[in-house]
Amino acid sequence: MGTPTRSGITPKNTPASDISRPVARLRTFLARPGVLSFAILIVILTAWEIAGRTGILNIFFFSTPSAIFIKAWSLLVSGQLLFHSLRTGSAYFLGVIFAIFLGASCGLAMGWWRRFGAVVDPYVVFFSAMPRIALFPIILLIFGIGDVSRAIIVFLGVLFPVLFNAYVGAKQTPQLLIDVGRVFGYSHNRLFIAVILPAALPYLIAGFRIGITLGIILIVVAEFLAASAGLGQQIAVTAQTYQIAEMWAWVLYTSLYALVIVRGMDYLERYLMRWA
Amino acid sequence: MEQGLELTNVCKSFATAQGELKVLDSISFALNPGEVVSIVGASGSGKTTLLRIVAGLETPDDGIVKLNGNKINGPGPERALIFQQFGLMPWLNVLDNILFSLATSDLSKDEQLDRARDVIARVGLEGFESFHPNVLSGGMQQRVGIARAIAVGPKLLLCDEPFASVDAMTRLNMQTDLLNIVTQQGIMVLLITHDIEEALFLGDRVVMFSSRPARVIEEIDVGIPKPREHSVRTSAVFQKQRARVWELLQEAA
Repeated sequence: MGTPTRSGITPKNTPASDISRPVARLRTFLARPGVLSFAILIVILTAWEIAGRTGILNIFFFSTPSAIFIKAWSLLVSGQLLFHSLRTGSAYFLGVIFAIFLGASCGLAMGWWRRFGAVVDPYVVFFSAMPRIALFPIILLIFGIGDVSRAIIVFLGVLFPVLFNAYVGAKQTPQLLIDVGRVFGYSHNRLFIAVILPAALPYLIAGFRIGITLGIILIVVAEFLAASAGLGQQIAVTAQTYQIAEMWAWVLYTSLYALVIVRGMDYLERYLMRWA
Repeated sequence: MEQGLELTNVCKSFATAQGELKVLDSISFALNPGEVVSIVGASGSGKTTLLRIVAGLETPDDGIVKLNGNKINGPGPERALIFQQFGLMPWLNVLDNILFSLATSDLSKDEQLDRARDVIARVGLEGFESFHPNVLSGGMQQRVGIARAIAVGPKLLLCDEPFASVDAMTRLNMQTDLLNIVTQQGIMVLLITHDIEEALFLGDRVVMFSSRPARVIEEIDVGIPKPREHSVRTSAVFQKQRARVWELLQEAA
C-alpha cells in the first residue's frame, strides 16, 4: 500500500502529488548545470580509478585519484601546503604588485604625455618581444636563489601586458571627454587623474588579467628552475623522485591556487567597474 | 563691463592631406549681454569650429574674439559648453558629473555641493543624483550636461546642437526649459543648430553661415518677445521667419 500500482491507480490515502512532488524536485535538482558538471567529474574520476587499478592506465605516470587525494590531504594537514603556498605567494605578489604599479603608471603616462611615450616606445617594444625568461640565469647570478630572483621574473612578465594595455587605454580616451575637462578648466596634469585614469580603467583591468595569469605560469616555471621551496619546486622535486601521486597533488593545488587568484581578479574587476 | 561677445574677422584653416582647408572666412558678429544668438548653416560649414574657438579649445588663425572686453585665449569659467554627445563621464553618477565642472572653481566642497543640488533641481533631475549616465535616456543625460554647464555660473553658454541626439518630443520640452533657465539668469547663449525652428524659438537673432568656407551671409532679428511659450511656434511671425530663413539658406547653398 502507499505506492502506485502497476496500472497507475493510486490508493486514496496517498494522493499522487505526495509522491510526484519529491520526484519532480529531484529532477529539477539533477538538471542543474552545477550538478551535471559534478556528475561528469565523478564519472571521470571513477573511470580513472578503475583504469588505474585494472592496469589499463599506467599508474606510474597517472597514479589514481584515491592515492592523489590521500596525498593531497596529508599535504594539507601537515601544513606543507600552507608553507609552500606562502613561499610561492611572497615572490608572486611581490612581482605582480610592482609590475602593476609601474606598468600602469608608465603606460598611462606614455599615452598622455606623448613626447615621453615616443621616447620610451622603442624600449618597450624591444623588451616586450624579448623572451624574458632568458634573463633568468643572469638574474640568478646577481640575486641568488631567493625570492627576489623569482619576483623579478614575475615582474618582467607581468609588466609589459599591463603597460601596453594602459598605454592603449590612455590613448583611446574619447577626445570629447578630454574637451569637456578642458572647457571646465582642467589642466593637462589634472585631466590625467580626473579623466584619463578612469577612462582607461577597463583597459587596465584587461592588462591586469593577462598579467596575473602570465605571472602564475612564470612563478611555477621559475620554481622548476631554481627554488628551495614553493608549489612549482615541489612539482619538480616530486616528479624527479618519482613520487607521482604527490606530484599530482601539487599540480592540483597549483591549479586551485591559480583559480583563487583569477577569481580574486573577478571580484576586483566587479568592484572597480561597478558603474558599468 | 558687460559688453557681450564680439567676434572680429575670425579666420581658421586646417591642414589636410589635400592641402589647406579653409573653414572660417572673416567671421564677424556680436552678442549683446543677455542675448541668445543661433547660428544656422549647412553641415561642415565650420559652425562647430567657431564654437570651439569661442570656448578656447582652438585658436583662430586670424581675428579677435572678445568677451566683455577681454580677449579669449583658452577656456575660462565665464564660458561653458553643452555638447551634442553630452560628454558625461560614464564612471561618475549624476551628482559627481555636475561636481566635475565645479571642482576647478574656488568654491568650498560644501558650496560646490549646494550649487550642484540647486542646478539639479533647476533641470528637474531630483532623485537621479546617484544614477550613472548609462541608465539615463538621452534627454536625461543632456539635462545633466545642461546642469553641469550652468553650475559654473557662466556669462556665456555655448551650445553645439544640444538636442540633436534627443528624441523629438523631449527636444521641444528641453528647448523651453533651456530658454527659461538662460532668460531667468540673463546668460548669453551662442547656439549652433541644424534645426531652423530651434534656432528661431531660442534665438533673439539668427546668424546664417554659408557653406565652407563659412561666411556670415545674413543676420535676422527674430522679433518675438520673451518669455516665449511653446505656442509661439504656431504664430504667424514664427512661420514667416521660418520661411525666410529657409529661403536664405536655399539661396546660399
